Amino acid sequence: MVDENTNTAGQPPEKAAIAVHEAARHHIDDGRLIRLFDHFKREWQIYVMLLPTIIWFLVFLYKPMYGLQIAFKDYSIFRGVANSPWVGIEHFHTLFANDQFIRAVKNTVTISFYNLLFGFPAPIILALMFNEILHATYKRTAQTIVYLPHFISSVIIAGIVITAFSPTAGIINTFIGWLGFEPVYFLTQPQWFRPIFVGTGIWQEAGFGSIVFLAAIAGVNPSLYESAVVDGANRWQMMWKITIPSILPTILIMLIIRIGNVMEVSFELVILLYQPATYETADVVNTWIYRQGLQSGQYDLAAAAGLFNAVVAFVLVMTANTLSRRFSRTSLW
Amino acid sequence: MRKLSLAAALLAGSAMSTPAFADGHLRIVDEPLELTIQMNHARYPIYEEDWPVEQVARELTGIHLLNDTVGANMRTDENTGRTEALNLMLASGSIPDIVGSSRIRDFVNQYGPEGAFAPLNDLIAEHAPNIAAYYATRPDIEAAVKASDGQMYYIPYLPDGKYGRAYWIRTDWLDALDLEMPETVDEYEAVLRAFKTQDPNGNGLDDEVPFFARQWPELIRLVTLWDGRAHGSDTYHDFLVEDGKIGHGYIGEGYRDGIANLARWYAEGLIDAEIFTRGSSARDFLLSENLGGSTHDWFASTSGYNRLSSEIDGFEFKAFLPPASPSGRRIEEHRRILVKPDGWAIGHTNEHLVETIKYFDFWFTEEGRRLANFGVEGLHYDMVDGQAIFKQEFLDAGPVNRSLYQVGAQLQGRGYFQDYNYEIQWSNEYALEGIALYDTGDYLIPDFLGVAFTADEQKVYDRTWGSIRDFMLEKQQSWILGSGDVVPEWDAYLAQLDDMGMQELLAVMQTAYDRQYGG
Repeated sequence: MVDENTNTAGQPPEKAAIAVHEAARHHIDDGRLIRLFDHFKREWQIYVMLLPTIIWFLVFLYKPMYGLQIAFKDYSIFRGVANSPWVGIEHFHTLFANDQFIRAVKNTVTISFYNLLFGFPAPIILALMFNEILHATYKRTAQTIVYLPHFISSVIIAGIVITAFSPTAGIINTFIGWLGFEPVYFLTQPQWFRPIFVGTGIWQEAGFGSIVFLAAIAGVNPSLYESAVVDGANRWQMMWKITIPSILPTILIMLIIRIGNVMEVSFELVILLYQPATYETADVVNTWIYRQGLQSGQYDLAAAAGLFNAVVAFVLVMTANTLSRRFSRTSLW
Repeated sequence: MRKLSLAAALLAGSAMSTPAFADGHLRIVDEPLELTIQMNHARYPIYEEDWPVEQVARELTGIHLLNDTVGANMRTDENTGRTEALNLMLASGSIPDIVGSSRIRDFVNQYGPEGAFAPLNDLIAEHAPNIAAYYATRPDIEAAVKASDGQMYYIPYLPDGKYGRAYWIRTDWLDALDLEMPETVDEYEAVLRAFKTQDPNGNGLDDEVPFFARQWPELIRLVTLWDGRAHGSDTYHDFLVEDGKIGHGYIGEGYRDGIANLARWYAEGLIDAEIFTRGSSARDFLLSENLGGSTHDWFASTSGYNRLSSEIDGFEFKAFLPPASPSGRRIEEHRRILVKPDGWAIGHTNEHLVETIKYFDFWFTEEGRRLANFGVEGLHYDMVDGQAIFKQEFLDAGPVNRSLYQVGAQLQGRGYFQDYNYEIQWSNEYALEGIALYDTGDYLIPDFLGVAFTADEQKVYDRTWGSIRDFMLEKQQSWILGSGDVVPEWDAYLAQLDDMGMQELLAVMQTAYDRQYGG
């Protein structure tokens, strides 16, 4: 997407573009509105299709930004957003003086890191494996089975996990019992929370996540494989030398998006699976916000924590995007 | 009071078509007056204008309540979204004339002083003789409902009856193993161990669960068996009051000893291994599968499980007295609280304050109280020797408290004084036997009725309590599960709590308590 015009013109592409633009400007000044009108008249269906998304953004993402100011106010629901008194950064002082908030930030980052480390490669590996399956019926059946968990709600997933890891009736502990060991009450032991949580996430989402990579693989030019076969490459070499390099831009884009969501550990699942006994490893920023902010009605403090979360996520996604653009020339914008 | 004939008029047929009463001594307005209401309480998310009870109240008072509830979630049986509904109502900027809800106290005591709700002290003194008469007899309850500015902002729902939860045990298992009813904590432990090891259900498997609970904080309440304290009111993990001093159960030495013993019980398998995750179906599952041995739960609903005797041979689940602690004390920490944080309040835009407070007062008259408790005479109950007695077909129509909600009686979002006679009439023999047993001694202890904070005190509470509670619960679970040891960790635990502001919080609570209850 970057290389198309660097070699063709004698001068750098920006200058050429500016020159063309300047030349065109004098011609279109009067006809500009008419042209714009014509354009809308011709393409209005496309803009109508765009409209719901724009409205959605305005209503659910831009309008709520107005309320962000309560992070700096002593908010009262009755007085409203505008009439509550300003308190500056008092809520941020409260946040950073709170050991449990700091711990929640650390837990969020740790869980996300594990999610990235183990959860991100999983759908890629799965897609590559599906790609190697030749038996069509088997392939389709296997795909359907791994997609299914994605469509189950978190509440059901948590129920399945709690039952599976139950110390008396759970399948995991039954198995451990066969091997002659004592049952483990997994969900109350802090050291087990992260493996269970990350594992559950992989089980639920890896299949569905592989779709996008399968689509990218399907887009690889078949002639590359044909010539590789002629050159005597085996399947393993074709995967490493053709498939993976070809889908690398997709992988990087997905990685950037994923990094942007690092602070958004799937909060419902944590709420459903954690216990006071596992707060030590399980309590993330969003569950902390839920307990402190919503259950105790401290909306202003919760807004401050949420704002902090958003700023961190913003910095992360900007960094990832910049690094990606610099080193691989692939980026979201 | 004297007007039995008044209610008898309703016998004539449907309450809906009853003409206005000739005598009209309860009438508040000559011309019908319409007031809007938000009502969203624990069991029902809106106010229904065609409830028979509402219809009769209209006839008697001339005031019509119109449902104006926002944020109601009609899809759940257990109405969970009521706090959100209150917040949503307030955030929408329009407050109905009357607002009724469960857990309304902290809400009105926070936003009332800001101007969202009408202060009621003067209105009650001038226009509500029945409410004033009640408060004259119970100054402690009057103090408990007040906000930090000394004003009352809501009329509470006042439960009647003393007992809530009790200790329960499978007496047929005791018989099967030839054991006596436990009288002390040591005997209780021996019984639980026998349940664990001697296969009382006789299926040859080691699958009995000696102690279980639907809500895991009920396990923590067992620290009272070692002279500890857990929950100071019917809100879990609440503060407690002893001789006018505010304290917290989780910093007492009895609690430390109790937790050490509970950890031992847990390790020995005397407590449900899944107590923290089994959840609200624990009682249903463990009793009907013939696995559970003993619990601590409500009289009325738990006694109902004796119906299982038709499926499980000999099944008998009975209440027993709190076992005596090593020092010989027997206490039942849970009781029916004297005043609920539920009830109703008057919105600041209400233009008929006097009529509204008179309407609130109507529910404290004899007729109003009966209407709020038993429903409509002739339809749901009859008067027999001056007592309201439910009709048999009403008792047979399913759970009585649910039937009452559905006709507009026993609403927790209405300020009224409950009459325990309503409950006795449908309590089964096991519940009545248990209550009689608990009545033989003096096992209940005073509840902490809560305090209202000033804005500054609220800040201290907000800043400290959430973290302190989380920390205490985290430690509590880790000690019971055996990943920590309470005795060696105790001093560090107390020091950490002080670091987190425990002493400051207790001081603030004490100040608020002294102001509210007169020191």
